[in-house]
Amino acid sequence: MSSVPLQTGVGEVNPVYLGIFVVYLLAVLAIGGWAYLRTDDVSDYWVYGKELGPTLATWSYVANFVSAVSVIGFVGSVYGGGYSIVTGIVFGLMLGISGLYFVVHKVRELNHITFPDIIAELTGREVARPITGCVLLANAWVYLIMQLVGAGLLVTTITGVPYQYMIWVIGGVFILYTVMGGLVSVAWTDLAQGTLMVATVAVALAYMVFDLGGLASLNQQFMALDPANVAPLGDGAYTLIGVAASIVAFFGTIFTSQATVVRINATDSIRTAKFHLAAAGFILSVFYVMLVMLGAGTTVALNGAGLAVENVDRAFPVLIMEYVPTTVGTIIIVAIMSGILSTTDTRLHACGVTAAHDLYDYFVDGSADDEKLLLVSRVSTIGFGVVATAAAVNPPGTIISLYNWRAILLTSALLVPVYAALYYRDTSGKAVLASIVLGAVCGPGWNALGEPLGAPAAFVGVGMAILGLVVGRYAWQDTTSASPGATPSDD
Amino acid sequence: MSILGMPTGMFLVFVATLVAGSLGTAHYVIVHVIMGQPVDETIREDTPAEVGENV
Repeated sequence: MSSVPLQTGVGEVNPVYLGIFVVYLLAVLAIGGWAYLRTDDVSDYWVYGKELGPTLATWSYVANFVSAVSVIGFVGSVYGGGYSIVTGIVFGLMLGISGLYFVVHKVRELNHITFPDIIAELTGREVARPITGCVLLANAWVYLIMQLVGAGLLVTTITGVPYQYMIWVIGGVFILYTVMGGLVSVAWTDLAQGTLMVATVAVALAYMVFDLGGLASLNQQFMALDPANVAPLGDGAYTLIGVAASIVAFFGTIFTSQATVVRINATDSIRTAKFHLAAAGFILSVFYVMLVMLGAGTTVALNGAGLAVENVDRAFPVLIMEYVPTTVGTIIIVAIMSGILSTTDTRLHACGVTAAHDLYDYFVDGSADDEKLLLVSRVSTIGFGVVATAAAVNPPGTIISLYNWRAILLTSALLVPVYAALYYRDTSGKAVLASIVLGAVCGPGWNALGEPLGAPAAFVGVGMAILGLVVGRYAWQDTTSASPGATPSDD
Repeated sequence: MSILGMPTGMFLVFVATLVAGSLGTAHYVIVHVIMGQPVDETIREDTPAEVGENV
């Protein structure tokens, strides 16, 4: 990935938008303060005391899911490449949510906290904790950068405050409230932000559809700009194997995200764990269809108004500023900020949990008490947040390219070994670990080499993970296998 | 042939996406709500403190 020059030039400060943004930041800080008072111990901070109910879990998942990628990156991607993003990414993500629904009981019944906890049990090896923790931290950190870039671009465009200042304001506020209230803060702000976001994107789409003469008219105009815009494979821009690899990569990220596993383990029952994925799958599939069509509307509107942009990530902010009336723009801004920032806090929280629970506990002090672990969580949240904010000042790629990279990493490293071991508990722990390491190295490594021989990195990573697991299963079948667990279910 | 202003193939991709996201929803509603089948709530009480170190 190469560094992407951001168009951070600003005009005059817009007091209306700036005022809305300040009020928004104060509101989330207030929720953080309230959550701080409700956070009594490390269990509250990490997993809401395992008392997350169905409504809170569902909307927290939805809000976490819809990120800067979804709003700015996806709209930008539709602007640059048409509806093919639905085939390659959105379909894989939606299939992943439903797929996770059918296996979520396997995760929740183990009653752990983090993903590395589960892998340590499955492999029978504590060293699995830092190995997996590093993969998850890399993912969470890249995700954080994406969120901050998206938020910074948007707020800079709409408020007129220079990007290099705004990025630190946003980073600072979100580090502060996540550090204060942990998952209690995150879940409650997500509930508010998730509902707001879905409703406002629906309103924004309705406005654009009305403005462009109806949905059929919108799509016809979108096709008139370029017939490839409405072709499932971008009219030859993408190969079938490339799209299939993309589907696999994004399908896998649903199963392998630390934030998702932490939230599953925070639910109050297996019923809630299943319910929140069932409900979120429906909500998100409708939401993404609306969002992608909003992207088409944005493309048609900007081109029709002579407002075409070069950096596709700026398409949506420009639409808000230059095309729609201030009232509608305000609604859209609130929705976008909700989406971006609700994901930012979750990833920040996941970084803190991983650093304290999976790395500090292993490398530094295995007998640290809850108070110490809580402190380490908070300090590492600040550390990762500050470093991510610094990286976001000059990001290493476009939002969508970062999104692709971490999908390849997560899916290559963790999808096959972990979920195979959940169902085949006699698999050698060494084989699972070898599979994780092979996938983590080969997937992103192949991507870094520019995907030679036309082989997609996701296929290479997942393929090597399968190879490592199969070979290891036979080579080490006499060594220690996965823990039998307390009550694994039969299905 | 076009549906909602887009080619049928693209329209079907949208439909497939909606269906893909709703598979869990459909299962939950049919099995656990309409048929009333309970969810197996076997969550173990205590997690193992620390697994053996074998590497």
